[in-house]
Amino acid sequence: MHGVKRVQYSKEVLEARKQRDQARLKDYLALYEQVFQKRKNKDFSQDAFDSTTNILRMNPELYTIWNYRRNVMTNGIFPASDPSKVNDILSDDLSLTFALLKEHPKVYWIWSHRMWCLEHVPDGPTDDQLKGWKTTNWKKELFVVEKMLDADARNFMAWNYRRYILGNMDPPPPPSAELTYTTKKIEANFSNFSAWHQRSRVLMSLWKEGKLDEKTSKQTEFELVQNAMYTDPDDQSVWIYHAWLIDAGEDTALLRREITSIQELLDEQPDSKCTVYGVACPIQEAHFGEAFGQLGP
Amino acid sequence: MSNTTSSMTLNIPLHVKYIQSLGENKDDLVYHMTSHLRMNAIYWGLNALCVMKQKDALDREEMIDFVMSCWDDEAGAFGAHPAHDAHILSTLSAIQVLTIQDAVDRVDVQRVVKFILSLHQPSGVFAGDPFGEIDTRFSYIAVQALALLGQLDKLNVDKTVSYILRCRNFDGGFGAVIGAESHSAQGTFLISSVLHRLIIHCI
Repeated sequence: MHGVKRVQYSKEVLEARKQRDQARLKDYLALYEQVFQKRKNKDFSQDAFDSTTNILRMNPELYTIWNYRRNVMTNGIFPASDPSKVNDILSDDLSLTFALLKEHPKVYWIWSHRMWCLEHVPDGPTDDQLKGWKTTNWKKELFVVEKMLDADARNFMAWNYRRYILGNMDPPPPPSAELTYTTKKIEANFSNFSAWHQRSRVLMSLWKEGKLDEKTSKQTEFELVQNAMYTDPDDQSVWIYHAWLIDAGEDTALLRREITSIQELLDEQPDSKCTVYGVACPIQEAHFGEAFGQLGP
Repeated sequence: MSNTTSSMTLNIPLHVKYIQSLGENKDDLVYHMTSHLRMNAIYWGLNALCVMKQKDALDREEMIDFVMSCWDDEAGAFGAHPAHDAHILSTLSAIQVLTIQDAVDRVDVQRVVKFILSLHQPSGVFAGDPFGEIDTRFSYIAVQALALLGQLDKLNVDKTVSYILRCRNFDGGFGAVIGAESHSAQGTFLISSVLHRLIIHCI
């Protein structure tokens, strides 16, 4: 997890841990043998389902048992349940995986099981509200992923999941809301590269659809970036974003302005390596322009 | 000066001993809790030994037997551990181990190729298994596996490459899926392996 320091444990602590682990190992191997036997027997009962819950709580990285759990649901439990019950079972699994994600936020298998659950929510609750359960679940998911990103704003799996939810919500939230979200995350921490990346995606989409004027919008972005540069000149995220805004470097007035601004920063922070890179980038674009006679004396 | 010199020398025997010990600690909780990574771990350990020119530090026959014991006959590919489901991750590691051990003749190549190609999605990306998790790292795995088996001609190259190119981001890197932020794993795999290998193959 980002920002969590590794701890050195004493011999006594390590010995106590070893004793505890031996007891856990005994329990784990008993559960492992039980669930794999049930799987071998193609057992799709509630009892089989419960044994997958028990072992996955101990080891949520056992991908074969996530597969078995899904097979138990589709072959045993769902065919014997009405849509409301199916929705409840899937909601329970979403709660289970949320609890597991708190301990294991970067386990691919947990995130993909959540997606599977969401994709299997049945139509309902009524014929007039066929999307009712689905809409409720997608809205909850946005809340879940925000919690995950509050805990670790750089968890790329959570950001991927966020994009997955936004892409599936019906109706989708307006892109301006997502732009606001990225602003909030960036202002909380200028080195949140994930948020800068998301911002680049949202902006490119808005520019392409003509919902935002690219030139005016970029002006706002330069102001945001300048604020970030001066706050933390050694953060790479800011300079990478800045280089992207500079783009092909066709706007020579812009290049001159940015070179001047960054040079002022460099004068204040001569030891800042990133600032050296940051000023080199537009200068490089400017020289490229000079070679083709775009820049005057 | 002598301290500096000794600290510049890789302590190969110590590293070999460490790798050997990893397969021996069978009463260790972590050993059992990582069974989902076993096939990968064997490849990583073997590869490290090869880099140190100590390939024989692990028994060849035992290793091949273990790899073959992970064959999932229902799926036609390899799981991470005996009785584990086939997955593209463990399938590549198995092929890599067998290639290094000069034992690829033990593989039912046609079935493995069928498994890998069955995971190729309409969008061009690969899934990891029939449950459908997609990721460009699986695209790398598919290309690498097919290349090692000499079956790259079975791949729809245009479809594979077009998806990868759509994963290119504002910073020049690549993400796991379209829209995902750049990750060094994807960058390493996709540029150095997939795209390069496919260019070579197409020439």
